[in-house]
Amino acid sequence: MKQPIRIQNLGGARALILHRAHPTVVALTRQLTAIGLEVRQAWPEGDADVAADASGVDFVFFDADMGHDGMFPWPAQQPPVPLIALIGSEAPGRIEWALRAGAQAQLLKPVGDNGAYSALLIARDAFDAQRALFAEVADLRRRLNERQTVVRAVTMLMARGKPEAEAYGQLRQMAMAWRISLEDAAGRIVGPTDQTGGRDDRRDWG
Amino acid sequence: MIEKRRIPLGILYSASGSYALISQACRVGVSSAINAVNADPALDLAFVPVVRDPAGNVDLYGPMCEDILRHSGANHVIGCVTSWSRKEVIPTLEKHGGSLWYAVPYEGFEASDHIVYTHACSNQHLLPLLAFVMPRFGGRGFLAGSNYIWGWEMSRLARERIMQAGGVVLGERYLPIGSVDVDRMIEEIRLARPDFVLNSLIGPSSYAFMVAYRALGLSDPHFAPARCPVLSCNLTECELPALGGAAEGLIAAGPYFCGAAGWPRQRCDFGSSHEAAAFAAVMELARLLAHRPGGEHLSLARLLAEHSGTPGIIDVQTHHTVLPVIIAQVRGGAFHPLRRIEGVAGDPYLTRGCDVRAAPLLRVVS
Repeated sequence: MKQPIRIQNLGGARALILHRAHPTVVALTRQLTAIGLEVRQAWPEGDADVAADASGVDFVFFDADMGHDGMFPWPAQQPPVPLIALIGSEAPGRIEWALRAGAQAQLLKPVGDNGAYSALLIARDAFDAQRALFAEVADLRRRLNERQTVVRAVTMLMARGKPEAEAYGQLRQMAMAWRISLEDAAGRIVGPTDQTGGRDDRRDWG
Repeated sequence: MIEKRRIPLGILYSASGSYALISQACRVGVSSAINAVNADPALDLAFVPVVRDPAGNVDLYGPMCEDILRHSGANHVIGCVTSWSRKEVIPTLEKHGGSLWYAVPYEGFEASDHIVYTHACSNQHLLPLLAFVMPRFGGRGFLAGSNYIWGWEMSRLARERIMQAGGVVLGERYLPIGSVDVDRMIEEIRLARPDFVLNSLIGPSSYAFMVAYRALGLSDPHFAPARCPVLSCNLTECELPALGGAAEGLIAAGPYFCGAAGWPRQRCDFGSSHEAAAFAAVMELARLLAHRPGGEHLSLARLLAEHSGTPGIIDVQTHHTVLPVIIAQVRGGAFHPLRRIEGVAGDPYLTRGCDVRAAPLLRVVS
C-alpha cells in the first residue's frame, strides 16, 4: 500500500508559471496567492532568464500549448519539482509532449476560480511517489548487482568449515545485527580490496 | 412580404496578417449568405453584420469577441482562422453563452458546446488524403509544418498513419508562423528524397515553401509533382493567387473545390471551400432561427435541441458536419478532382469509425 497522503502546508511555497502574459496567468496567480503561495511568471523569449526565475521554486506550471523542450531550465525530462500542465488544446500530440516533459497534474485553460489547489496536491503526491519509486528501483538494482558478492561472502564463510546453509544463515544474522542489507553485509565480508566487492569498508566490521 | 427580425451577427476575421487571404474568402462567403438571407422573402429574419478585425493579433480575439457579445446584442459570431485564435475566444463564449461558427479546416480533438465546425477535421482531410496518396506514390513521407498546433498535430497524425501503413517518415521540420526561411527545410527534403511532402505550413511560410519546392522540382526530376507531390489539407483556391505556378501539381483534400456540386447544397459557384463553409454556416444559422422569434437568444445547445424542423447539417453530439471529401490536384492553375468520397461525418476524436484508413503498403517480397 501507498504511504498516507501528505497534505503539504502550501503557505510560503513558491510557484513559477511558465506562460506568456495572459488572462490565464492572472487567474492562476490569484488562485495561488489566495492559497498562500508566492508566484512568479516567466516565458522564454527575448532575454528572459527562466533559469533565474526557476531557482528555489517548489512548483512549476507550464503552458502545454506553446511549450517546447528547450523552455525548461533543467535537463530534458528531469524536472526537480512537481510540474503542472496548463492545457488549452487537448490534441494528443500536446498531451504526449506535456507527459514527456514530466507533468504530474493538469489544469485546463481557461483557468477560472478553482482547480489550482487540487492540482498542487495531486502533482506533489505523484512527484513524491515517483521519486520514492525511482529510489527503490535504484536500490533494488544495486542489490541485484551484488549477487556475486553474496555468493563470494557465503563461500568465504564456508571456507571456515561451515556447510552452505549455515554460512548463509550466518551472513543473514550479521546483516541483521549490523542493521544493513544482506548485500551490504556480504560487501563488508568480502572487503574493499576485492574489485567486485561492496563499497563498505572492512575496518568497521571488527 | 413577411416582417423580418433584425438579428445582429458577429464577424471576427483578420483583414490583415499572415492568413488574410483565408479571412477574406470566409468574409465573402459570409457576405453572400447574409445577402441571400436578407433578400429571401420566405425568411422572417435579416442579419445585421457586426464586424471586428483583430488584424492577425491573437490577443485581440478574446476581447473583440467579448465586445461583440456584450455590446452588440449578437449571440452568434462567425470567425477565427487559426486554432490558436479559436481557443482564445472559447472562454468568452462560455462566459456570455455565445456561439462561434468556425468555417476553416482544423486538426480536430475539440467538440465545444459553444462552437459549430462547418469545415473539415482530420478524418475529412488528412486521413483520406494519405490513404489516397501512399498506395500511388509510396510510403516515405517528409512532414513540414508551421510551429503551432495545426502543424504539430497534422505531422503527429500523419506520422502515426504512415507508420501504421508500413511507411516511414524521413523528416519532420517546423517554421515559426510568418517565417519564410525555407532553405534548410528544402535542403533536407532534397537529401531525404521522400515519396511525398506533407505541407502543413500556413500563409507566407507555405507560399515561400511552394516556390522553393517548385524550383527544386525543375532542377531535380525526383521532386516533380508526378514523382514526389506536395500534399496539403489547408490550401484552397483562395491562396492560389499568392502561389502562382508554384502550386502546380499540389494535391489537396477538402470538402469543396471550384465547381464541385452537392455541398453546400444551395450553390456550387464558390471561390473556395473556405468561402463555401462560411456560407454554409450562415445559411444553417438562418435556418435554425427562421420562424422562431427569440431563437437568437438561445444557447447553441438549446437552439439545436429544440429545433423541430428537418434535421440540419450539424451533428448534435460533436457539432461537426457531414462533408464530402474531395482529393484534387492543381493543374493549369485550378484544382481538378482525383477522387470524391461522399458523406463523411466529422469525427474529431477519431473514435467513431468515420475513418478512411490507408491500406497497408504492399511490399515486394524477394
